[in-house]
Amino acid sequence: MKYLLMIYGNTEKWQSMRAEAWAEAIAKQEAFNARYTETGELLGAYGLADAARARLVRRVNGLPAVTDGPYLETKEYLASFWLLDCDSEKRAQQIAADMPFADAEPVELWPVLHESTGDQ
Amino acid sequence: MNLHAQRGAEPPGAQDTAELLRELAPQVLGALVRRYGQFGACEDAVQEAILEAVATWPDRGLPQSPKGWLITVASRRLIDEVRSEHARRRREQDHAASAAPLEHPQDAGLDRDDSLALLFLCCHPSLPGPSQIALTLRAVGGLSTAQIAAAFLVPAATMAQRISRAKQAIAASGARFEMPGPAERAARLRIVLHVLYLIFNEGYTATAGTTLTAPELSGEAIRLTRWLHRLLPEDPEVTGLLALMLLTDARRAARTGEDGSLIPLDEQDRGKWDRDGIAEGVTMISAVLPAGPPGPYQVQAAIAAVHDEAESVDTTDWPQILGLYQLLEQLAPGPMVSLNRAVAVAMVGGPAAGLDLLRELESDRRLASHHRLHATRAHLLEMSGDLPGAEASYREAARRTASLPERRYLTGRAARLAGPQEGSGRL
Repeated sequence: MKYLLMIYGNTEKWQSMRAEAWAEAIAKQEAFNARYTETGELLGAYGLADAARARLVRRVNGLPAVTDGPYLETKEYLASFWLLDCDSEKRAQQIAADMPFADAEPVELWPVLHESTGDQ
Repeated sequence: MNLHAQRGAEPPGAQDTAELLRELAPQVLGALVRRYGQFGACEDAVQEAILEAVATWPDRGLPQSPKGWLITVASRRLIDEVRSEHARRRREQDHAASAAPLEHPQDAGLDRDDSLALLFLCCHPSLPGPSQIALTLRAVGGLSTAQIAAAFLVPAATMAQRISRAKQAIAASGARFEMPGPAERAARLRIVLHVLYLIFNEGYTATAGTTLTAPELSGEAIRLTRWLHRLLPEDPEVTGLLALMLLTDARRAARTGEDGSLIPLDEQDRGKWDRDGIAEGVTMISAVLPAGPPGPYQVQAAIAAVHDEAESVDTTDWPQILGLYQLLEQLAPGPMVSLNRAVAVAMVGGPAAGLDLLRELESDRRLASHHRLHATRAHLLEMSGDLPGAEASYREAARRTASLPERRYLTGRAARLAGPQEGSGRL
């Protein structure tokens, strides 16, 4: 079963973090990523660039039309996501709770739709 | 099918080579592990020997003894590996390398024990489910890591990590390459059967999204279960599981529409069912049932047989199916069994009786949020003529499933009940 873990944030929140805390936070996160890569359960961990780099894309006359936005500076937006493939939802919950900041901020856990109909 | 029948000295086709190699893989690995121990290293060596065979056999033709060739090549690879990793033990390994080449065992009994020991090792209880599945497909099924990764839609690197960790876990657990003792054997065999059942279910999917390179997992599960059945012909649950797979797989062609959509049992074109598969499954399950008391796989196979033998939903022997689900609920209780029993109750005693039972089941926490509870309620409400209620339950079920084909099916069902003005354009 595949699951998506997501964490949210915004610039204001990240800027409030002290510089020396960053290194520790990164180390913790990398340890988490290494731990579940090694178990064969983490398929990928991805951090999104700052909202300043996000764009809105439409198709106009068959061509991409790109505009700035979304403007999310104050709202919390998707910051990073992890794709898991593990035994059960319970296991995915354990891994989510093991995220470094899960004691302070919730981690969103979404099942990913699968092709199998499973329990036939 | 007989294009390559006259194989002889002719170079074998790639397809033939692949099939032969996968048949031989567990025997070769079993022989190596029995001789050298070190399951993990032996498994790598056998994979390398298989790759070499794939590269050379189609051009050069089959060796006189394909199995002997594989054992020799794999042994050399293993010894090379051990040498490079443990230089300090070089002298011992030189000794091993110069020893007489390992003769491939002629003794079918030894092959059988090796193969079973291998399967028990891959399905070791210290491993998580996904690792048991991956290791079984590789070490016993002879599939490559890339093929297994493609079948489960995960990156090859992830699958390689999972397999490598599983081997480490087996080594760390101190598990031995041997048949479990009689006391432990039944419990270990149950795990093996469950792993094969999961492989079958994973593959029993709609066709959308499958890729050409991914092996077809239900076919692979059937192949491995047939093989286990040859090794343990007297075990009624092994027979039951094989019969269940055959009887379920026989409906495959009728189970999905051309667009990959799910077609439920009651709407399937039974003319598309595979009669040979049904006949084989029915013969098998009929042979073991009278020996009773049956295990859960035999009961599930019996249920599948009753469905498969019926001309239509209306002529299905529902009282017999209900009796079998009652038995199954005692042997292997679970949400799916209870829900299927509720459907059987409705088919025998009318939808109101089924809905009464569902209300009882709703008090079970495991079941209350299960999408199949809502799907079953929707089905029974539709039977009873409460179409708005059925539509709402189909939508609730669609929201709760994580299966894409099921979600499409349930949404489509709800849209159909909502009527043409609302139902179009919502898929």
